Amino acid sequence: MSERPILVVGGGPAGMEATRGLAAAGYRAVLVEKRDELGGTPVSGSYAALTPDFRDAGEAMAEMAATIQGDPLVDIRTGSRVTDASGQAGAFAVTVEGPGGSEQLEVGAVILATGFQHFDPGRETQQYGYYEYDDVLTLVDLERMLKTGQVLVPSTGKPPERLCFIQCVGSRDRQIGNEYCSKVCCGVAAKESIEVRKLVPDCRVFVFYIDMRMYGYWEPQIYWVSQEQHHVNYIKGIATQITRTKDGRLLVRGEDTTMGRPMEVPMDMVVLSVGMEPSPGTIEMAGVFGLALNKYRFIDTLGGALDTVTTSVPGIFACGAATGPADLEDSVSSAAAAAMKAIGVVRRAALAGST
Amino acid sequence: MIPHSAILKPSSRTFVPDPGRAPTEDYHELIFELEKEGEWEVQRVPEPYIEVHNKYGRTKKIPLQKTWHHKSCGQCGHIPGYSTAVFWINRKLGLDYIDPTDQTSCTAWNYYASATSNAAAQAAVAMRNFAAAAETGYFPIIHCATSFGHYKETRQQLLHSPELRRQVREILAKLGKKLVMPEEIVHYSEWVHAVRDRIAEHQVVGMDHIRATIHPACHYHKLVGEDAVYADEIHGRQRSAIITGLLQALGIDVRDYSTWHDCCGFGFRHILVSRDFSRSFAVQRKIEVMKEEADPDVLITHDTGCVTTLDQSQFAAKAHGRNVGLPVMSDSQLAALAMGAHPYKVLQLHWHSTDNKPFLDKLGIDHKARWAEFEAAVAELRSGAKQYLTWEDCDV
Amino acid sequence: MGLDLSGRQYANVPLQEKQRLFDEVKADLRYDDYLFGCYECGICVAACPSARFYDFSPRKIAQTMAREDVDLFYVMLNDSVWDCSQCFSCDVCPRKNSPGGLITLMREVAVKNGLPSAQQALEGYGRVVYKIMATGTQVSPDMLQDNAFPDWGPHVKDISQNLDVWRRALPPDTMHTTETSWRVDDKTIHELYLIWHMTGVMDMIKEVDEGLFMILQDVMEERLEDAGYDVSFD
Repeated sequence: MSERPILVVGGGPAGMEATRGLAAAGYRAVLVEKRDELGGTPVSGSYAALTPDFRDAGEAMAEMAATIQGDPLVDIRTGSRVTDASGQAGAFAVTVEGPGGSEQLEVGAVILATGFQHFDPGRETQQYGYYEYDDVLTLVDLERMLKTGQVLVPSTGKPPERLCFIQCVGSRDRQIGNEYCSKVCCGVAAKESIEVRKLVPDCRVFVFYIDMRMYGYWEPQIYWVSQEQHHVNYIKGIATQITRTKDGRLLVRGEDTTMGRPMEVPMDMVVLSVGMEPSPGTIEMAGVFGLALNKYRFIDTLGGALDTVTTSVPGIFACGAATGPADLEDSVSSAAAAAMKAIGVVRRAALAGST
Repeated sequence: MIPHSAILKPSSRTFVPDPGRAPTEDYHELIFELEKEGEWEVQRVPEPYIEVHNKYGRTKKIPLQKTWHHKSCGQCGHIPGYSTAVFWINRKLGLDYIDPTDQTSCTAWNYYASATSNAAAQAAVAMRNFAAAAETGYFPIIHCATSFGHYKETRQQLLHSPELRRQVREILAKLGKKLVMPEEIVHYSEWVHAVRDRIAEHQVVGMDHIRATIHPACHYHKLVGEDAVYADEIHGRQRSAIITGLLQALGIDVRDYSTWHDCCGFGFRHILVSRDFSRSFAVQRKIEVMKEEADPDVLITHDTGCVTTLDQSQFAAKAHGRNVGLPVMSDSQLAALAMGAHPYKVLQLHWHSTDNKPFLDKLGIDHKARWAEFEAAVAELRSGAKQYLTWEDCDV
Repeated sequence: MGLDLSGRQYANVPLQEKQRLFDEVKADLRYDDYLFGCYECGICVAACPSARFYDFSPRKIAQTMAREDVDLFYVMLNDSVWDCSQCFSCDVCPRKNSPGGLITLMREVAVKNGLPSAQQALEGYGRVVYKIMATGTQVSPDMLQDNAFPDWGPHVKDISQNLDVWRRALPPDTMHTTETSWRVDDKTIHELYLIWHMTGVMDMIKEVDEGLFMILQDVMEERLEDAGYDVSFD
């Protein structure tokens, strides 16, 4: 008996890498993506350049997609969603609804790569005025702007003279319930700070932080570069509040803790380094497949540090930011691990069926 | 390629709260759970109530009437037009209420000032007042934001400490009272907010040409913030809707200023024994900033300490040539004024410090004539022709 | 005057005494809700009104408590906590600490132990404590005297001169009082006294202000006795 195909849900970096891995190993994969195009959040969020290597996000995602598009072992279904699932490891029946209607598929294992969504600053504990002031942006808004090749103050249309990032918005916050670090925001802010300085060399750029978290090579790749070559100012102290002065400029209030002095500094633009939360798709798929969520509503994985992809249901694996905050390196690595474990399930089921 | 206009106009952002993502436990559930376990009784918000929402999108019920007015010692003592205006609006709208005498102060002003008390005593004082309200069948409505804040804190402590509940239950039993927790802790300004459309229907003094700044009380929206009221259409649900909602309903231009989130400088002990701090803060961080940035005709706030500090601090500052002179009153006083209440018999503006006559002039209110009326009424009291002024003297 | 964090000023206070007071703060049932850990991020400081005018930092209060540094605690307990405004603007903490709440507990311990710094902080405040504990309302109309509030303006004098008649000119009939903010029932006052008695508040007053304690004791015992209660505050 030949192996059943493996279902991959989510066509972002993790889902595409899992699919690529399955096909490379000679296994059939069905990739279901609810959006009309592959690429996940880097594409839907209009990312400009990837962290930490500054690769063009659109090109990089297109390159990943090209590795699976046209592969005879890969059945890509965009504009589609999984609406029902039953069965067990080795033999799942899933209902996929797509442009062509509803269809039932037999699959041997499932990989969920349904990702995250950016934290909505409307729920922040602090008073940053994202919904009140046009010149308060998120990392994602700035990314979109960087993609146009220009950084302009929304309210004036002019380049900013002073711009700051505020870290940990929606992360590491017991008041909001997101107690975790979102891992990528420090790196993304450092990357964007470099891009801003390159595009607007006269703009002074500040990063207000609790702790800067630059793992491994991110230190020399982006953190040091931003400080040493682009003279970005890093200040330990989280802004309490953003208000607006009479002349319409933003005013950031906080404490410069290591200097031990209060700060009340004008800014033309403020960028909130919003963290990660489970995407609606992640929560929805956990419901469809009956998976346990952790207390932050990411998909729970059972294996601790040594197994990052095994979920509460045998035969179903999760990877990337569906299981918690993850950078691209994490996402593709866990995707490959999930692909390997899924292959194990369908291969062993096939072997059992043939004896 | 994304067009620049899309980047330059992000104001289409709207925030939609999801009660399912609220980071705190829902106190309603816990309160009713403890009722089921026999720990206390819950006093329900009487029907008909008005539904409003908190910052997480959870529903809060505001009673329309059958209210038991938990008065504020600072308001009744030093700004008596504040609570008088609350009662006057109730009467004008034909709503039933009780102004009780089986009520003590929450004693929190003293507690936050001197710490000469403790958690059990404070909880017992709160629950004694709540029990007194429940005995009447009327629902407590809290006039002071510090009482409101302190009672929220007390409720949180009682919810999570069986030991404190036991202690307070025993104390109340000795007083012949039951442990009763109200379903909601309601601040009077939330009631004003909830009935603002009715208030606006009764508006007889036009305020379309008025500019105002507001000051939200720390103990209202910062201390146990989940009870505070927010609304989509007011500040995009990013600041409490209270006061602003009323002012907008009355046609007033509510203006922003950069220190809106700052405290007033009251400080509890400072306002009584270290007033240089309160005065400096109120003037430099609030009044002068408002005057400079927003040029308001009036400052409206909703708490005892805030009205006191922001109003009374301006006199000495004026002597030092500071940019002050901004009349201060409560939302209840302003609402009553809009509905035609007498500025002295009801609003009792002669208890305020900062000159409010230019504001009354701007509203077209003949304050000289109104003061003469008040003086005439007082003369009757002095002569013994009358012992008290009553509601009949105040057009309700 | 700056806050001396060296602790030199309290070098002669035994460490055990500092530890005892620290432990007393920590033993309060609210402590675990007021302190988790501290990022030392300063978010509380920019929100704090007192930090603008005094050498006062809610961050340093939280840091001190989180580090369990009893020497520094003792400095804060004596030289810092009375600067706090108790507005709880510091409740924005991402860790959900409440520096203002910690200060409430610290002040309570300072009072309960009759620390000289607490006595000093409450100097001139006894009349307010008396008013609230003995009458059930705190800031009564008759406290508005121009010598008490000379900086509030001439209306204070007008009020004090017209107090009786202006109170009678208030339409709510509960507010014709001058010694209390509103008319409080006798039974209500008795219940309040019993609460003070049963919760140990009178013991705290005795520690921090013996004279005030004796006055309160006289008033309360007499009124309760008249009402048929048999209560001794000793």
